[in-house]
Amino acid sequence: MSSGEVSNISSYCLDEKSFHLCCKLFLQHSGVIRDGWSWADVKGSEEGYVKKTAIIPAKLGSLLNHKADDGMNAVTGVDECDDEAVGDYIVQSQVLVHYEYHILYSIGHQVPILYFRASTLDGQPLSLDEVWSNIHPNYRQRLLQGPWDTLTQQEHPFLGQPFFMLHPCHTEEFMKPLLQMADDKKRKINYITTWLSVVGPVVGLDVPLSYHTELPAPD
Amino acid sequence: MSVFPSDKTLLNSPMAAESVEKAASCPKLQFAPFSSALEAGFWHQLTQKKLNDYRLDESPRSIKGYYYNGDPSGLPTRLTLEFSAFDVNGPTPAYCCAAMGTLYNTNTLEAFKSTDKKALLDEAANEIWTAIQSGAAVEDPSILSKFIILTFADLKKYHFYYWFCFPALCFLEGIKLVKDPVLLQQKFSPQQVSAFQAAYDGLCSSSGTTAVPYFLVKYSEENVEVALLKDWDLFFTDLKKVTVGVYDPCTLPQHPGWPLRNFLFLLASKWGSQLDVLEIVCFRDRTLQGCRSVQQSLVLEVKLPSLSPSAACPKGVGWEKNPKGAMGPRSVNLSECMDPKRLAESSVDLNLKLMRWRLVPSLDLDKVVSTKCLLLGAGTLGCNVARTLMGWGVRHITFVDNAKISYSNPVRQALYEFEDCLNGGKTKALAAVDRLKKIFPGVNAKGFNMSIPMPGHPVSFSEVTIAQAQKDVEQLEELISSHDVVFLLMDTRESRWLPTVIAASQRKLVVNAALGFDTYVVMRHGLKKPKDSDTGDSSPSSSFSASDSSSSSTPATPGTSLFSNIPGHRLGCYFCNDVVAPGDSTRDRTLDQQCTVSRPGLAMIAGALAVELMVSILQHPEGGYAVASGSNDRMNEPPTSLGLVPHQIRGFLSRFDNVLPASLAFDKCTACSQVVLDHYERDRFQFLSKVFNSTHSFLEDLTGLTLLHQETQAAEIWDMSDDESI
Repeated sequence: MSSGEVSNISSYCLDEKSFHLCCKLFLQHSGVIRDGWSWADVKGSEEGYVKKTAIIPAKLGSLLNHKADDGMNAVTGVDECDDEAVGDYIVQSQVLVHYEYHILYSIGHQVPILYFRASTLDGQPLSLDEVWSNIHPNYRQRLLQGPWDTLTQQEHPFLGQPFFMLHPCHTEEFMKPLLQMADDKKRKINYITTWLSVVGPVVGLDVPLSYHTELPAPD
Repeated sequence: MSVFPSDKTLLNSPMAAESVEKAASCPKLQFAPFSSALEAGFWHQLTQKKLNDYRLDESPRSIKGYYYNGDPSGLPTRLTLEFSAFDVNGPTPAYCCAAMGTLYNTNTLEAFKSTDKKALLDEAANEIWTAIQSGAAVEDPSILSKFIILTFADLKKYHFYYWFCFPALCFLEGIKLVKDPVLLQQKFSPQQVSAFQAAYDGLCSSSGTTAVPYFLVKYSEENVEVALLKDWDLFFTDLKKVTVGVYDPCTLPQHPGWPLRNFLFLLASKWGSQLDVLEIVCFRDRTLQGCRSVQQSLVLEVKLPSLSPSAACPKGVGWEKNPKGAMGPRSVNLSECMDPKRLAESSVDLNLKLMRWRLVPSLDLDKVVSTKCLLLGAGTLGCNVARTLMGWGVRHITFVDNAKISYSNPVRQALYEFEDCLNGGKTKALAAVDRLKKIFPGVNAKGFNMSIPMPGHPVSFSEVTIAQAQKDVEQLEELISSHDVVFLLMDTRESRWLPTVIAASQRKLVVNAALGFDTYVVMRHGLKKPKDSDTGDSSPSSSFSASDSSSSSTPATPGTSLFSNIPGHRLGCYFCNDVVAPGDSTRDRTLDQQCTVSRPGLAMIAGALAVELMVSILQHPEGGYAVASGSNDRMNEPPTSLGLVPHQIRGFLSRFDNVLPASLAFDKCTACSQVVLDHYERDRFQFLSKVFNSTHSFLEDLTGLTLLHQETQAAEIWDMSDDESI
């Protein structure tokens, strides 16, 4: 059986070798369309993960409370009043959210796992409620039925920092019909691309159509 | 073009109008300053570095950030530091430009405040100026985007204070714009745009990177060439009008970003006197929907003032404003994601939510989590009940026990260890609290090392013992009053009497668990109707009393019509039920009277069932008033999202089986009958002390319960064996 290609009907998992191959092809296409995915090596290890960061304007509201008022303003000792060459162009009312997406491989479940974290530009992570409030309402109903219901909080296995992750225990379940359909139509698909299209909206991640149309499937 | 107020007017808006006039008369180039952008991982990494590496060493550290010229419009010009910022030799993200910085991490908030910011800025400005003068900046222009970050990490509170500085050298008179800025697509034909793009890509690949911060540009109708800054002399033959490129992270339609500032200073200092007009391509390289576009790049034409290369270091600016627009540091509170205790709490909550999202969407978790639980008894049952409550996220757990931990306890009592038995043993109630906090620091646990006065156990030996008993009663009353659910988990029957009475009087939900050798009963006590409600409650109960007494002589079969659909307020308590239990003289003893040795798994099963019963009750819209489910209801539509809400669960480990009997409150019950409650509520301790000091006949007389006689004889036997310590 050729690696990465889904030809074994009985299993809709992704073995590690295929994961790497799928990632490689995925990253190749990402390099072409420059949407920011890259491979991150883990120091002192053979392993690694696919990552991307993105800045997304967020809804206002609770996020404004992130700005702590701690009376530190009095601490200046800096006098820059004469710099006329500076413009302040930042739209102050806009809150930006820094999303980090990491695609890891789960040996236990033999599927990819999406780890993510969102934070304001001062590095303060968003709570899950805040993440939810930034999900487009059109997606919410569907996400509640999955995979939002698999969201959990866990330490990043390589970084040791708290991340949210979409628990892989249901991945095979929702991937199976998709893979089966592709199989019936004798169409080769890239597992990572298909999977990411399902889980991406949870975290504000859109997978451009060109991944499906132009990305060569592994064979 | 739009006019931007100077810094002065930003700080003091009434002056804005004046500045508009001033600026309009003399169009000068203005720059969008960097906004600092930190990933959450940066703070985690700084924490690790501080703890393991820097410790108390405050010396400056090299650090690395990056900026990007591919943002869609609307985003601020950012300098980003991620967790890898401390690895200055690590890779820079593709198509991003690295910026090298210096980290000053102070040990105290005082040092952070008192650090001489002007001196830091001057030092950095001087470093840049020296590199410009020496020509080092021409060889490697990355020094031009050098930055400073001053930090203080309060690792006790997980508060971080920081202040960025992006040093920029200032021209005294500013820089004049010769023409209005235009977009590259207005200046270049499509052929030139793609030639430019190809030339830039070629330059990147020949220099082995994916982004070049500063470069030289030459173009004709058909051709565009680019080169590195250090190749200036070879590249430009005619200096009348030269074109340079700057990798521009700004997305504004009229203004360049910060990196151009120091570059212009370099150009002015090196070639300013020779250049007539300088053309600048602020290179912006966006990709939208997989479609690359550099057309949005900005083209500026400026006249550079000439600078003497030997001049003294020019004035530097660059400390970042805080979100309020003032010159001041920023701070961020990361206790939510860094404090292990807070992390444990949010993880536990999220895990429970998962259950709701995935399996039981209508589950009301808040109702469970906010329930205050009083555990009377911190032995095998108490330990297991507490652990299961914690599993449900219950935060408020209080233990009452008067025993110390003995050597035989830890193997069965899940909250204790061998060490707890040494030196006479720790008190259970307190040791249990300590262990709960170790397991989950977010728990609000308290322990009370106290005895519960019991009927037939006289307290009238001396004034001291009476006073103590009164104090214990009051304490227990107070505890029951301040909790929502009372768990009866003691190992004697008598000790359950007082809390049963108090809880019945206070209308508190009681969950009772008792063990035999291989049998158990877990039950909820009937919850009397609120005191101010219709008192017609007692009459139906007495109308049933005839059948109650008849059932006391014939075994009550669970599921018979008499015992189905009993509402919560008419259910019996532990004492009602024992009285109506099938009567065979000697063997008619409650479970805990038979033997305190039980199969080891039993306490775990019964303890867990007690908590799960509580949770199911809480999920029922009527709570403790819910109609009792029976074994037969197992086939029916369950009353709650979690299933049935039985009155009792009686289990038989030998058969690995259980039944769900339900039984009515008994109007002659020695604990929950109206006459007992009336006396308690009227005479309080006076009545209670009579019960403690008297034999069973007192309660028997009170309730008019002749049947109790036989039953209390058995209790007496038990009392003696309890005291005799064989």
